[in-house]
Amino acid sequence: MDDSTPASVQNGMDVDTPPSVTSTPAVFSLDSETFKKIHPTEYHRRFLSQGVRPDGRTLSRFRKAKITVGAITTAHGSAMARLGETTVVCGIKAEITEPKTGAPRDGFIVPNFDLPPLCSPQFKPGPPSELSQSISEYINRVLESSKLLNLSDLCIEEGRAVWVLYADIVCLNYEGNAMDAAMLALVAALKHVRLPTATFYEADNAVRVKEQRTIPLKLSRTPISVTFGVFDGQFILADPDIEEEPHLSSQLTVIIEQNGGLCGMLKPGGSALGQETLTSCLEAARTRATHILGILEGALAER
Amino acid sequence: MSRLEIISPEGLRVDGRRPLELRRVNSRTAVLSQADGSAYIEQGNTKCLAAVYGPREPTKRAALLHDRALINVEYSVASFSSGERKQKLRRDRRLMEIASTIKRTFENVILTTTFPRSEIDIYLQVLQIDGGALHTAINAATLALVDAGIPMTDYVCACSAGYVNNQAILDLNYLEESAEIPTLTVALLPKSGKITMLGLESRLHLDKLEPVIQLASDGCKQLKENIDATIRESTKSLAKTILQ
Repeated sequence: MDDSTPASVQNGMDVDTPPSVTSTPAVFSLDSETFKKIHPTEYHRRFLSQGVRPDGRTLSRFRKAKITVGAITTAHGSAMARLGETTVVCGIKAEITEPKTGAPRDGFIVPNFDLPPLCSPQFKPGPPSELSQSISEYINRVLESSKLLNLSDLCIEEGRAVWVLYADIVCLNYEGNAMDAAMLALVAALKHVRLPTATFYEADNAVRVKEQRTIPLKLSRTPISVTFGVFDGQFILADPDIEEEPHLSSQLTVIIEQNGGLCGMLKPGGSALGQETLTSCLEAARTRATHILGILEGALAER
Repeated sequence: MSRLEIISPEGLRVDGRRPLELRRVNSRTAVLSQADGSAYIEQGNTKCLAAVYGPREPTKRAALLHDRALINVEYSVASFSSGERKQKLRRDRRLMEIASTIKRTFENVILTTTFPRSEIDIYLQVLQIDGGALHTAINAATLALVDAGIPMTDYVCACSAGYVNNQAILDLNYLEESAEIPTLTVALLPKSGKITMLGLESRLHLDKLEPVIQLASDGCKQLKENIDATIRESTKSLAKTILQ
């Protein structure tokens, strides 16, 4: 028998006899990969208590963001956004449809976010996952309530023809924080959209569309999404990645527009947070949003 | 609107190519961090992304095979990828048929007996279509499978060819495909020169079949050069990082 077995067992004594004081405590050590697998929350806790995260970032550091526009020439507008390794592409196609009778001058914008099984092993083929549906829905509500687009700008002929913009956002590689990447790709793609001139001809009851795509969309604001994760109810992690996401006790998404104003805030349940925490997240989000807006501007200038 | 000439009097096609000319090919592997193997390929304006996961635990235990790996293919076309936006129907018959074709193409090439009771998933995402989506997807899948380290007996290289104005043409684009030119897609195993997949959906005169198949096979061989070069390039850089 080796040194790790208690003395009582080694000497073959019965259980009633107390163990000898000379028994050495068991030493149990693991390499970090195994530790990460069997006790991931403790693994992250060890890092966070030292003010650092497993990928080397400090708690308040966001991942590098990169935006490119115009990769999909078949779409009227397209953009690809990367946050670290999380890669999302958005393609916007404009079609012509009849407006609703209650709003004869209003066009439509239909965003949809998809997390296909291609982007991560955690998504299986089948109907859209809860995550993709909730992100889709939140983005849609933010777009509507912030009146990002003046829907009457999409009018071709009142009561007869309007533009409908289908914004399909697809995640190609999921390494955490799909919300921020999706929003960024969508806004970049919207800014990239160029619509052709469309004229309604009463005589033919049809719309003729020119070849050239020259008309940009007028966006009332530029919303930028900034997400934080909360670990153990106390550590605030900026831009959580895929290793951290399953172990977060709460998430907080803040949508900031270009002048620093608030467009949306989402804390879908999770551990309780104090007011000061929310305020400090808001400040951090503002700084990040300014940085992202700069990158966005740079990317659009390169079109 | 005047009818587009598929081949102009000077012998040029609508995109300026000669009849036997392949579109420009651009390919890269290891583009996605989550997938075991991934690749991105552009053939002209047709762009396809492939991700391979596996061999891994099968999702449907009932479907697992005791003596080989199960190959599962999902072929997905982005709704912004083509001229008209197609509402993506998950159970779209055409997409499932293409996925099934690709699955059967690779089933015979991948050494599935090496991994019994497991599953290899091939996910294809077409981002932009300018004709030739099927063969671009097959080429992307080949690259991604090699990137994932899945053993295969040979590369699978695919290409399309058609016949118009008494001339066989290689690698049709969207305009040519929609002009009702008979299009033949061929997937070839370059080492043996054998055809693993062949598809034709329109009428083609029997006399013309042989030259069109031959042309498509030549296209496949040309593509093999590009695929091989990409694989060697990425393997070289991988070897460099390992040997450091």
